[in-house]
Amino acid sequence: MFEMIREKLQGLGAEAWEMTETAQNRWEFYYIGHRLDQNRAVKVTGTEVKVYVKSEDGQFLGNAAQTISPTATEAEVDEILKKLVFQAGLVKNPYYTLTDVPVTVARKTDPVDVAAIARDCIEALAGVPETETQRINSYEIFVSEICRHTLNSNGVEYVCTYPSTELEVVVNAKKEGHEIELHRIYHSGTCDRERLAKDVARVMEFGADRLEAVPTPKLGKADVLFSTWDACRIYEYFADKMHADYVARKISDWEIGKPVAEDVKGDRVTVRVLPELPNSSMNMPVDREGSVVYERELIRDGVAAAYCGSRQFSQYLGLEKSSMVTNLEVEGGTLSEEEIRRGDYLEVVEFSDFQVDSMSGDIAGEIRLGYLHRGGEVTVVTGGSVSGSMNEAVKQMRFSKEREQYDDRLIPKVTLLAGLRITGAE
Amino acid sequence: MKAPFSEYLQSIAPALKELVAELGRDYEYVSVLSTDSVGFRISISQRAKSVSNQSVTTERGTVVRVCRDGRYSEAAFNEFDPKDVAGKAAEIRRALDAQTEILKACASEVYETGKLADEPLVLFVEKEADELPERSDAEALVRVLTEMSDRGMETIPGALDVMVSATSTHVSKMFLTANRDLRQSYVFTEASAASYAPNAEGDIKFAAEGVSGCAGPEIISGLDAKIDELAEVISDLVRAEEIVPGEYEIITEPGVTGLIAHEAFGHGVEMDMFVKGRALGADYLGKRVGSEHVTMHEGALCDESVTAYAFDDEGTLAGDVIEIDRGILRTGICDALAALRLGCEPTGNGKRENFAHKAYTRMTNTVFDSGEDTVEDMIASVKYGYLLKGLDSGMEDPKHWGIQCIINRGYEIVDGKLTGKVVAPVIMTGYVPDVLGSVTMASRDRRVDGNGFCGKGYKEWVKVADGGPYLKMKARLG
Repeated sequence: MFEMIREKLQGLGAEAWEMTETAQNRWEFYYIGHRLDQNRAVKVTGTEVKVYVKSEDGQFLGNAAQTISPTATEAEVDEILKKLVFQAGLVKNPYYTLTDVPVTVARKTDPVDVAAIARDCIEALAGVPETETQRINSYEIFVSEICRHTLNSNGVEYVCTYPSTELEVVVNAKKEGHEIELHRIYHSGTCDRERLAKDVARVMEFGADRLEAVPTPKLGKADVLFSTWDACRIYEYFADKMHADYVARKISDWEIGKPVAEDVKGDRVTVRVLPELPNSSMNMPVDREGSVVYERELIRDGVAAAYCGSRQFSQYLGLEKSSMVTNLEVEGGTLSEEEIRRGDYLEVVEFSDFQVDSMSGDIAGEIRLGYLHRGGEVTVVTGGSVSGSMNEAVKQMRFSKEREQYDDRLIPKVTLLAGLRITGAE
Repeated sequence: MKAPFSEYLQSIAPALKELVAELGRDYEYVSVLSTDSVGFRISISQRAKSVSNQSVTTERGTVVRVCRDGRYSEAAFNEFDPKDVAGKAAEIRRALDAQTEILKACASEVYETGKLADEPLVLFVEKEADELPERSDAEALVRVLTEMSDRGMETIPGALDVMVSATSTHVSKMFLTANRDLRQSYVFTEASAASYAPNAEGDIKFAAEGVSGCAGPEIISGLDAKIDELAEVISDLVRAEEIVPGEYEIITEPGVTGLIAHEAFGHGVEMDMFVKGRALGADYLGKRVGSEHVTMHEGALCDESVTAYAFDDEGTLAGDVIEIDRGILRTGICDALAALRLGCEPTGNGKRENFAHKAYTRMTNTVFDSGEDTVEDMIASVKYGYLLKGLDSGMEDPKHWGIQCIINRGYEIVDGKLTGKVVAPVIMTGYVPDVLGSVTMASRDRRVDGNGFCGKGYKEWVKVADGGPYLKMKARLG
C-alpha cells in the first residue's frame, strides 16, 4: 500500500505531500480483581496521506488528509488521492514548506517483545501486597509495538519502532462497610516493575487515608502542594504557552527574551524539550511531521527562550529549527522538598480531574484526597475544590530541587502554588 | 434519502460468515463486528484551515469475539482477504494462543462467564439523511464556514479568532454470529463555533456553541445562528468576576443539566462497574437518590442524536430505560458480558471507541425529563444564587458519588432577578444524592446536545448526547 500510494502521488501534480504508515501490534489484558476479564490481540495498520496544493498566485498553501485503509482497492486509492488534491486546493493558508532537513537517524528499530512486557505487567500487578482492607479492584494492561514509517516529497524519510505501555489500575480501600476507590494511569515505554509496584503501594496508603478523611474545611485561600502526576499539567501550561501555534493564534503573548511573568518572587522555571528520556513512550528522533527533535530550552530561568511547534506555525513565526514537543524536562528549584514542606499548606494527592487550562490559565479540580498541614498538625481531608489562575500563581510558585519522572515528563518532585481558592465541603 | 449501507461490508459479509463458522470449530461462541464509517472534518479559523476526510469516528476494520471454557477473547484487525478465510482464522488462533501461554505462565485465573445468547435475528436499517458526508460539496462547506468565522470576527467584541469546525460521519456497521445478521447505516453530524478574547487584565476567555444531530451535513448551516449567541457569551465572560466559594441555589440551563445527568448518574449506573464493585449505585436500586422532580432516561432510542444507533457494538438492539423514576433509582445500563455476569438483560449500551477497542458499558442519550415550571418562575423563586450556563468538562466518582462539573459561567440572581453580574469559571462539586435530592423545579422544555465525547475514566472516547430541561437545585460552587 505504501509503495502504491507513493507512486500515485508522484503523478498528481501536488505541490508537496507527506505520508505516514503506522502499524500497531497491541496486546491487552483486562482483570477484575486478579481474575482475567478478557484478553485481546489487536493488529492494525493505516497510511495517512496529506496532500498540499499551492494557489495560482503562490501566496497560499492548502492541505487535505485521509488515512487509507489497507483494504482499500487501487480504484479507491485513486479516487481518494484525486479528492485530496481537489480539497487541498480549497484551503487557503499562508504559504509554508514541508520539512526538508535530512534525518540523521533514519531508522530506529529496536526489537519490541510485546509478550515479555505484558508478562512483566501482569506479574508486577499480581505481586502487589494487599491487605483485608486495601486491595486492587481491577486493572487493564495495554502493550504495543508501534512502527511508524514517514516519507515526504522533500525526500525526508525515517522508520521508527518503539514500545508503548499503558496501565490503568483501580485500588479499593474499605472500613466498616464504607469503601472508596483510587485510580491511576501509568504510561511508559516498557514495564518498570519496581516503580509500578512502589507507586501502587503508595496509592493503597492513600486509599486507607481517604477512609479517615474529614470534609475539607472552608479555607478561603491556601497554598496547595502537588506531589503526584497532576503536577505535569502545571508544567504543560508553560510548554503550551511557548507553542508556535499558541503564539501565532495569539493565545499566548509570551515574547522571546522577556520574562513569562512580572514580579516573580518564587522559583523561575526552566523548561526543556528532549528527544529522549529513560523509558519514555515518546522517545522518537523526529516528530510526526518529520522534523528532527532537538534538545532545546523553551524557557530559561523564567525568561521565554524558544518557541516550538508544527512546521506551519513555526514558519509563520520565522523559526529555523523547530519541532513538536515530545519529552519535557523541567529543572529543579532552589529549595529541597523538605524546605518547601515547612509551613502550612494543603497537599492534594487525588483530584477527580485536575485541569490547568493553558488558554485561560484557569486551575480547577475537585479534591478526592488531601493532607492539610496546619501548625504542625496533619488532617486528612476530602471534598470541595481547588481553583485559581496559573497566570497569577506563576509569580509565587515554588518547586523542589528533587525531580520525578512521569513517562515523558521529568518535573520537580513537589510544586507549591500559593493562594489558590479552596471551596470547603463542610 | 436513505444512508446506503457500505458496499465494502456487503462484499465481505459472506467471507466473514465463513470466518464465524471456521472459528466456531474451536470456540463455543463467535461474533464479528465489522465497520466501515466514512466522513469529514473541516476546520476554519482566521489563522489556519484544514480539510480531512477522516475524524475520530471514521474507521474500517473488524473485531472477532470468541469464548472458550468461560473465557472471552477478542482479535481486532483491518487487513482481511475474503479469499483467505482459513488464513485469517489461523492468524487469530495463533495470536490468542500466544496470549494464553502468557496467561498460563502467570497463573492467571479466569473470570468465568457463560455463553452469550445467540437467538436468530436479522435486521437491516438504513436511516434517513438529506445529505451524505462522502458526497457533500466541500467547496461550499469551506465557503460557508469561512463566512461564519469572518462574521464572528466582526460580531464578537475583542475576538482574537473564531474557530469554526464541522464533522460528519456516515456509519456502517455489521454484526454477525452463527444466527444473527444485523446491519445498520446512519449519519451524524456536529458543528461548533468557538472564540476567545482577552479581558481587561489580559487573561484569555473562551466559549463555544454548537449544533448536532442524527442527520447529514445539512444541519451545519444552523451554526450561523450560534455566532450571535457566541458574541453575547464572550461579552459576558470578559467582564466576569471570581465567584465567592459557597453553597448556592442554582438553575442549570439544559447543557449544564445534561452534564449533571451524565456525570452524576450516567457513569454511576454503568453496570460493568457493578461487576467490579466500582459503583455505589448497585446498593441503591429501588431506593431514593433524588427528589420527586428527577426522572432520567438513557438509551439510543431516547433522542435522534449523534448516538441514535439501531444496535450496539455487541449486537444488542438499542433501548430506552428509565434509570431514575421520580427520584427512585430503578435500573442501570448494561453491556452484554456484564449482563451475563449480573444475570440481567443487556440494554443496548455496549460501545467501542472503534473496532480495535474493547466494548464497555457506555452511555448514549442521558436525559432528564421535563417538568411543569417556566424558566421565569424558576428565576423568580431564587433568593440568592446563580443561573449556570455552558459546560467545559466533568468527572464522575461512581464509588463515592462525588461529582465535578466545570461550568463556563454563572449569572447572579438576587431576590428573583438576574442582576447582570457574571462569574466564571464555576466549579460545581457535591454528593450526587444531595445534589439531585435538592431539585425542586424543572422547566417544560428540554434540549439534548451531542457535541463532544465521553471517556471511560481518561480513555475510550465515544460519542454521547445528554440534556434535559432547566433544573433548580442547590450545589457547592467554587
